[in-house]
Amino acid sequence: MTPALELSGITKSFDGFMALSAVDFAVSYGEVHALLGENGAGKSSLMNVAAGLYAPDEGHIRIDGRPVAIRGPLDAKANSVGMVHQHFKLVRPFNALENILLSDPRGSYAGGLREIASEVARHCEALGFEVDVDKPVGTLSIAEQQRIEILKALVGGARILILDEPTAVLSDQESDRLLKTIRSIAAQGAAVVLVTHKLGEVIAHADRVTVMRGGKTVATADPRAVSVPDLTQMIVGSNVHEVPSPSQKIGEQLLTVTDLRGARADGHVALTGTTFTVRAGEIYGIAGVGGNGQSELAEILMGVRKPLSGRIDLAGVDDVSGEGPQERRARGLAFIPADRHTWGLAGALSIADNFAVAGVLSGKYGTPIRVDGAAIRAATRKAVEAFDVQGVRSPGQKAALLSGGNAQKLVIAREFSGSPRVVLAHSPSRGLDVRASAAVHERLRSARDAGAGVLLISEDLDEILLLADRVGVMNRGRIAAEFFSPVDRHAVGRALVHHG
Amino acid sequence: MASRADTGVSGPPPAPRQRGGFGRFNLEIRQHVSLLRQTVVLLAGLVIGLAATAIVLIAAGVGLGAIYDEFVVSIFSSSMSVSAVLVQAAPLLVVGLSAVVAFRVRFWNIGIEGQMIFGSIFATFIAIHDVGPESVRLPLMFVAAAIGGMLWIVVPALLKLRLGINEIISTLLLNYVAFNFLLYLLYGPWKDPKSAFPHSEQYEAFERLPLVGWENITWALPIALILAVAIWWLLNVSRFGFYARFVDANPKMAAAVGVPIVMLTLSSALLSGAISGVGGFVVSAGIEGRMTQSFFLGYTFSGILIAFLARSNALIAILVAVFVGVLFVAGQSLQVFYQIPGSMVQLIQAIIVISVAASEFFVRHRVHWVRGAG
Repeated sequence: MTPALELSGITKSFDGFMALSAVDFAVSYGEVHALLGENGAGKSSLMNVAAGLYAPDEGHIRIDGRPVAIRGPLDAKANSVGMVHQHFKLVRPFNALENILLSDPRGSYAGGLREIASEVARHCEALGFEVDVDKPVGTLSIAEQQRIEILKALVGGARILILDEPTAVLSDQESDRLLKTIRSIAAQGAAVVLVTHKLGEVIAHADRVTVMRGGKTVATADPRAVSVPDLTQMIVGSNVHEVPSPSQKIGEQLLTVTDLRGARADGHVALTGTTFTVRAGEIYGIAGVGGNGQSELAEILMGVRKPLSGRIDLAGVDDVSGEGPQERRARGLAFIPADRHTWGLAGALSIADNFAVAGVLSGKYGTPIRVDGAAIRAATRKAVEAFDVQGVRSPGQKAALLSGGNAQKLVIAREFSGSPRVVLAHSPSRGLDVRASAAVHERLRSARDAGAGVLLISEDLDEILLLADRVGVMNRGRIAAEFFSPVDRHAVGRALVHHG
Repeated sequence: MASRADTGVSGPPPAPRQRGGFGRFNLEIRQHVSLLRQTVVLLAGLVIGLAATAIVLIAAGVGLGAIYDEFVVSIFSSSMSVSAVLVQAAPLLVVGLSAVVAFRVRFWNIGIEGQMIFGSIFATFIAIHDVGPESVRLPLMFVAAAIGGMLWIVVPALLKLRLGINEIISTLLLNYVAFNFLLYLLYGPWKDPKSAFPHSEQYEAFERLPLVGWENITWALPIALILAVAIWWLLNVSRFGFYARFVDANPKMAAAVGVPIVMLTLSSALLSGAISGVGGFVVSAGIEGRMTQSFFLGYTFSGILIAFLARSNALIAILVAVFVGVLFVAGQSLQVFYQIPGSMVQLIQAIIVISVAASEFFVRHRVHWVRGAG
């Protein structure tokens, strides 16, 4: 059978860095073909070539066996290739119909909207989608925005649908639903490429899997014919397997949050009275579906957002809720943010600056008159080594050039440099591959074993269950239930979605 | 499950569009930019800007030889014209530093002229009311000018920090307030009693910046140079500058790690205002010997220009200020000897800024040609 989309010998370099070298990939109609690999393996680059965002340096693209030139997204669309990017390409103030019209212009604005509305309705019915097409997409949930991206591709006539890490931003339930949708789209005759680094999804939902590593394809296989260890081996080139290791010694209370209420910038009260305690030597996990107040909680604990009411006792000090980030950090709070590019790093500055800023703030590295650049560079080299931050050619290199996992390791290196007493980790492995996640988890465990209290806020239930000694479930801005390790997954799951 | 036709995801494939095997330009963001490449690209931008300038001047009737004479020969051949350039460069450097300090923390101070006016008003107050003994009169005027400039930026700075009001608007509008207050003083209480002209009475000799002893260079130049080195140290060596880099690069992250953003923004804004005030003092006490009603004109634009071309580096600002001084002096002589309109000088400045700004693109990106794949 002729493949729907066939990429052969695709090579692409960025300023001397080989992102793809002679990669072959093919997907057929009716199948879900998973493209699996670590961050930076070249999965997204390859698919961006198919979608017309990157022009390959070498290689050929065939659609239905015919060689085609894809010079831009419009060419891709004309060749019925549609891609749902990891970062959605939606105009936030526009509603769904307007966004679709923008990518698929029709004769007139009003007529176009009508046509699109009826096509969207048909697709929604066929796929069992619920989408509010009248609200600005910026006000919709991530899952809804993703559905609009899929509808956009389908209305545009896509028969080859590429989804780049679609489940990275979704909760367990939402992911399940999406993957079922993907299956039904394939069952109706489309070719679907599922880019992911989650093994479970591949085994449960893909017909074939192609593994990429270091810009090359390693193998293409039937996911049910390969064992999980073998797949892992193919992805990382070595075997990584994490096992739970419960806390040995739990000590005094280090962080107590009492009846904390907080609002988002738009005034919506997202935290409605959160109460919990984190003790020395334990990892307290907060599980929850995204948008239940986790981000607000993290920002309030960091000290960058003021609570409406409630108190925060930190490391033996009563109520630090009036203090700024600097004072809290001086009391031993460290912070690993969910969005490291917003809260964790200044990408335009050097790795050395990003590492040293916490030290400089606590009075290290020279005097107020003169910052000791040589000492900073030496300490950075040491930390880069100790925390295994890869891809650092020199401490003066910009932090933005680090890949996700290595950027996270740099954040952790900085945050752990002051021997913190309380570590707040918010989705610390989001967007990281298996190996980088394991390294991050190991750091959290060793901080706990050294006597720190770790607060782990994560939407990834597997991560919570793997790490947490105690689990609080966050639902509608408060801790709705608490569980002690070993935790029953189903009980937590019920508490997550319970609307009582 | 819906039928195939319902979803539109299947059906006969449309004919793919075919095009010839031509290639296209590919743009890539450079991962590393060497200092050499930056310098070469910037100089290329400068050369292209100067070439465009030459074309404009030739079109305006100035011969190529004359351009060369005015820009190169006459300026660098006599110590008098070198000093004329440096006299212009001193206040330009001061306002450039004012912009550098503010821009480093993303405070867009467009009120340099207003702050210069208030600096000069405060200094002139000391001069005409004979505050303090003669021996410390000048230092007093200097300090008063700094305070005057600083006061004129307090309100925009607080409005931005407390209420989030855009400082571009507030600093800009306060220029007009300052200007009209200046006119009130010069047409009213501070009118020159000797000539009845609308400028302040002439400063006494000890109220003017003394000559350093070479041509007509005054202490304005050493003051500007010392300021430049001090600002460079503050922004590039001290802890203050280290923090300021974070405020510039990522204010949210800076706040989260505990960088005192409000303190940094406020003190940088105040310092910027103070430096602009000193700029007013440098022009009044260093060049004109009194406060006139137009001494400040054009300095906001020049200050922004210098900070921008110098990439907010105080030491590079010295070179850029001298360069702008050359443009200024050459422009003046073109105006006098070739009847070129004064706006032409501004046109030249603008052309050069645009070409240097555009060169930034080629510093950050790599453009290369690929043959079409497929």
